[in-house]
Amino acid sequence: MRTRLRQFGDRTFTTVSGLSVLLLTGALVVILGPLFWRGAGAVVFRGTVEFRRMQYDMHGRGNKETLNAESDQAAHVRKDAYDLLESFAAGIDTTGLQKEARRIYRQFKTQLRNKVENIAITPEEASLLKSVGKKLRNHLLEAYETTKPDEAKQSLDFVLKHAGDENLAGSVAGQFFDMARQYLQIVITVDLTRREEYGETLNEVQEIIRELLGPRPGEPLPELSQFQYGATRWDRAQLLLDRLVWNEEWVEQGSGKSLKKVRTKRAEQFAGTELAGLFPMVEQNLEKMLCPQRTFYWQYFIDDSTPGHFFGGVGPEILGTLLLTLLSMVFAVPLGVTAAGYLVECAGDSRFVRVIRTCINTLAGVPSVVFGLFGLAFFVLYLQPKLGLPKGSSILAGAMTLAALVLPVLIRASEEAIRAVPRSYKEASLALGAGKFRTFVTVTLPAAAPGILTGIILSISRAAGETAPILFTAAVALGPIPETLTQPTRTLSYGSYDIAVGDRIAALVPHQQYGMVMTLIALVLVLNLAAIIIRRRLEAKLRGQ
Amino acid sequence: MKKQWQKVVQLVMVAGLCMVPCGAGAGEKPAAKEKKAKLQIEGSTTVGPIADAFAEVFGRKYKNVSITVKKTGSGDGAAALIDGRCDIATMSRFMKAKEFKKAVEKGIMPVAHAVAMDGVCVIVHPSNPVKALSSEQIRKIYKGEIENWRQLGGANKVIVVISRDTSSGTYETFHKLLMKKQKVAKGVEYVNSNPQAHARVKTTTGAIGYVGLGFVDKSVKALKLDGVMPTRKTIATGKYPISRPLFMFTNGYPKLGSTIHAFVTFHLTEKGQEVIEAKGFVPVTNY
Repeated sequence: MRTRLRQFGDRTFTTVSGLSVLLLTGALVVILGPLFWRGAGAVVFRGTVEFRRMQYDMHGRGNKETLNAESDQAAHVRKDAYDLLESFAAGIDTTGLQKEARRIYRQFKTQLRNKVENIAITPEEASLLKSVGKKLRNHLLEAYETTKPDEAKQSLDFVLKHAGDENLAGSVAGQFFDMARQYLQIVITVDLTRREEYGETLNEVQEIIRELLGPRPGEPLPELSQFQYGATRWDRAQLLLDRLVWNEEWVEQGSGKSLKKVRTKRAEQFAGTELAGLFPMVEQNLEKMLCPQRTFYWQYFIDDSTPGHFFGGVGPEILGTLLLTLLSMVFAVPLGVTAAGYLVECAGDSRFVRVIRTCINTLAGVPSVVFGLFGLAFFVLYLQPKLGLPKGSSILAGAMTLAALVLPVLIRASEEAIRAVPRSYKEASLALGAGKFRTFVTVTLPAAAPGILTGIILSISRAAGETAPILFTAAVALGPIPETLTQPTRTLSYGSYDIAVGDRIAALVPHQQYGMVMTLIALVLVLNLAAIIIRRRLEAKLRGQ
Repeated sequence: MKKQWQKVVQLVMVAGLCMVPCGAGAGEKPAAKEKKAKLQIEGSTTVGPIADAFAEVFGRKYKNVSITVKKTGSGDGAAALIDGRCDIATMSRFMKAKEFKKAVEKGIMPVAHAVAMDGVCVIVHPSNPVKALSSEQIRKIYKGEIENWRQLGGANKVIVVISRDTSSGTYETFHKLLMKKQKVAKGVEYVNSNPQAHARVKTTTGAIGYVGLGFVDKSVKALKLDGVMPTRKTIATGKYPISRPLFMFTNGYPKLGSTIHAFVTFHLTEKGQEVIEAKGFVPVTNY
C-alpha cells in the first residue's frame, strides 16, 4: 500500500512538472512566436519599386539601369490613372491651382523686391504693382473657390482685363493671365456644381492615390521623405487598394440606434462619370504599377531611419543598446565581483555585514525609474559638470545608471558562486603557500566564474531591456549616431516606446515597431548565448577536459 | 592554466580602467576639431513629431548640426530647460508661473515661440450616432453626471470616458478651456499618449476621448463642439473652443543668425509651414 502511494506520488510529480514545462514552452511560443513572426516582416517582405527607388536614393543600393527601366514601365501604366484623375478633377479640385496662384504671387513679390534693389523701379511703383498683383491673385482665388459659373467668369474677366497692362508685361504676374484663360475654358465646359457632390470623395481618392504611388511626376517633391515615396511595401499597397476600391460609411439605423458600417464600391459612387473606370483599372494594374518583388532587407539591422521611424532600420539603436549594455557591464562586473569577494572572504558575519546584505537585497527590489531619477540627479546634473562635461544625457551616465541598477543582482549571484567553491580548493592553495589574495584571484575566482557568468547573463538581459533608467540619462528619440561616450544615443527599448506614444505615422508602419522589439529580444538572446558558450567552456575547463 | 587566468583578469582590469579616460578624452577631441553645433530638444510628445520633422529638413540644409530630440512630456521639457539640459524645450502648454519663477531664479529667461496651432478634438467611435455636443454636455460627461449615450440622443450604451494623464499638456488644455478646472469623475480612464487615446476610442463603441487634430482620421469621429467642427480653419481662427498654440521655449531670445534661431523661426518659412501641415497641425502663418 505504502509503495503504491509513493509510486502514485512520484508519477503525479513527474506529470505535473512535465506539464508545467510544457506550459512554459507554450507561453514562450505564444508570446515570442507572433512577435518574431511579425518582426520578421520588417526584414522579409514584398518590396515595391518605390522601395527600391528609396533604397537607391538614400543608400545608393541597387542597379540604376534596372531601376530606371522598372520605373519607366511603372510610370507608363500609372499615366493612364493620372490622366483619368486629372480630367475629372478639373473644375472640382482646385487646391492645386490655388497653391499655384499663391506661389506666383510670392514669386512676383520677390521679383519686385529685386527690381527695387537694382533701382529698376522706385519703391512707390513697386508697392503699386504689388497691390495690383495681390488683387489679381485674390480674384483668381475667388474664381477657383466659387461653384457658380457667373461669379467665376466675373472674377476671371477682372483678371484678364489687366492682361494688357504694360507694367506687368514680362513679369511673373503674366502667368496669372495664362491661368485665368485656362480656367475660363474649364468654367465654360465643366459643370462646377459637381464640386459639392464629388469634392470631398475626390480629395480622398487623390490622397489614397498619392499614398499608393507617391507624388505625381512633375510635382514638386515634398519636404519630408515620408511623403516622397508611394507604398514601399506590398502589404501596405494592398491595404490602400482596399481603401481606394471600397468606400466605408457609417449609416444611420434610426434614432437611438448605433450606426452600421456599410461598404460600397467607389466605382458605384462615381457611376456615370469618367472616374468610375479608375478603380477597376488600378485594381487590375496595381502589380504593374508597383512591381512587387520578394525582398530580403537585411540592411534593416544596420540602416539609420528617417525621423519617426517611417523608413529605414534600427542600426543606431542596436549600436546604442550594445554600447550601453556592455559599458554598464564594464562598470558593474569588477565592482560587483570585488564587493562579493569582500563580503564572502573578508567581511565575516558581523551585524554590520548583515545590514549591508539586507541593503543590497532591498536595492535589487527598487523600481528602475528610481534609479533613472538618481542617475539624472547624480550623474547627469552633479557629476558631469564636476568633470567638465556638458550637462545633458550621455552614454556614460546611462551606463553608470544601468550599472547601479544591475549591481545588486550581480553581487548576490557572485556571492553565491564564490561561497559555493569547495573549501578544500582554498585550503589546498593556502597549504601550498599562496597568500589570501592570491588564492582568491587564482583559485576561488576561476572556480566561481561560471556562477558569476550566470549573474552577468541575468544582468545583461535586464540592462538591455530597461527603459526607465536611461529615459533621463542616456536615451533620445532622435539624434545622430554617437561618436563619443559623452553623447546621448538611441536605444531599442526607448525606441519602441517612442514609436508607441509619439507620432501618428506609427500606425502606418506597424512592422517597424515589431521589428524593433524583435531585434531587442534577438540581441539579448545573442548576448546571452555568447555568455552561455563562455560559461560552458569554463565549466569544461574546470572539470579538466 | 594559472597564467591564462591572470591574463584574463589583467585584461578586464586594463580595459575597465581605459574605458573611462577614453570616453572622457574622446569627447573633447572632435568637438574642438569640427565644432559641430549641438541642438538638444526635449519635451512634449505632441510637439515631438514637429521637432522630428524640422530636424529632418534642417539636417539636410545644415550638415554640421547634430540635433537630438527627446519626448518625455511638456513638464520635463520645462524642467530640462531650467536645468540647462536642453537648448529648446517643446511644450504643448504655456509655462506655469512656478516654472517661470524657478527658471528666473536660476538665471534662465524662457522665451516662447509659438510654432503651430493645434485643436483638442473630442472623438467618439464612428458607430456613435451623436454628432455634436455642447461644452456643458461634455463637462457633465467628464464629471460623471451623464453616464449613458441615451441621455444625449444616442444608443443605449454606457459612456466609457477616456482622458489623458494629468501631466500631459493636452490634458491641461482640455481641463482649463473645456472643463473650466472642474473636477473629473473617479471612473474616468487615463491613457498616456495620443495614439493610445485614439486606439482606445477606435476599439470601444461607447467611448469618448480627446486627441490632437492630427490624430483624427476615419477610424474615429470628431464631434462638433458648440456647433463648431474642428478643422484647420476653425482652429486657426480660434472659432473652435479648445484651440491651443504649441510652443518651443528657449533661454532668452536666441542670437540672431544662430542655429537655434534658425530652428525656432523655421515654422515661419514656407517649408516649415508645409512640414507642419503635413504633420497634421495648423501653421501659424498663411502663405
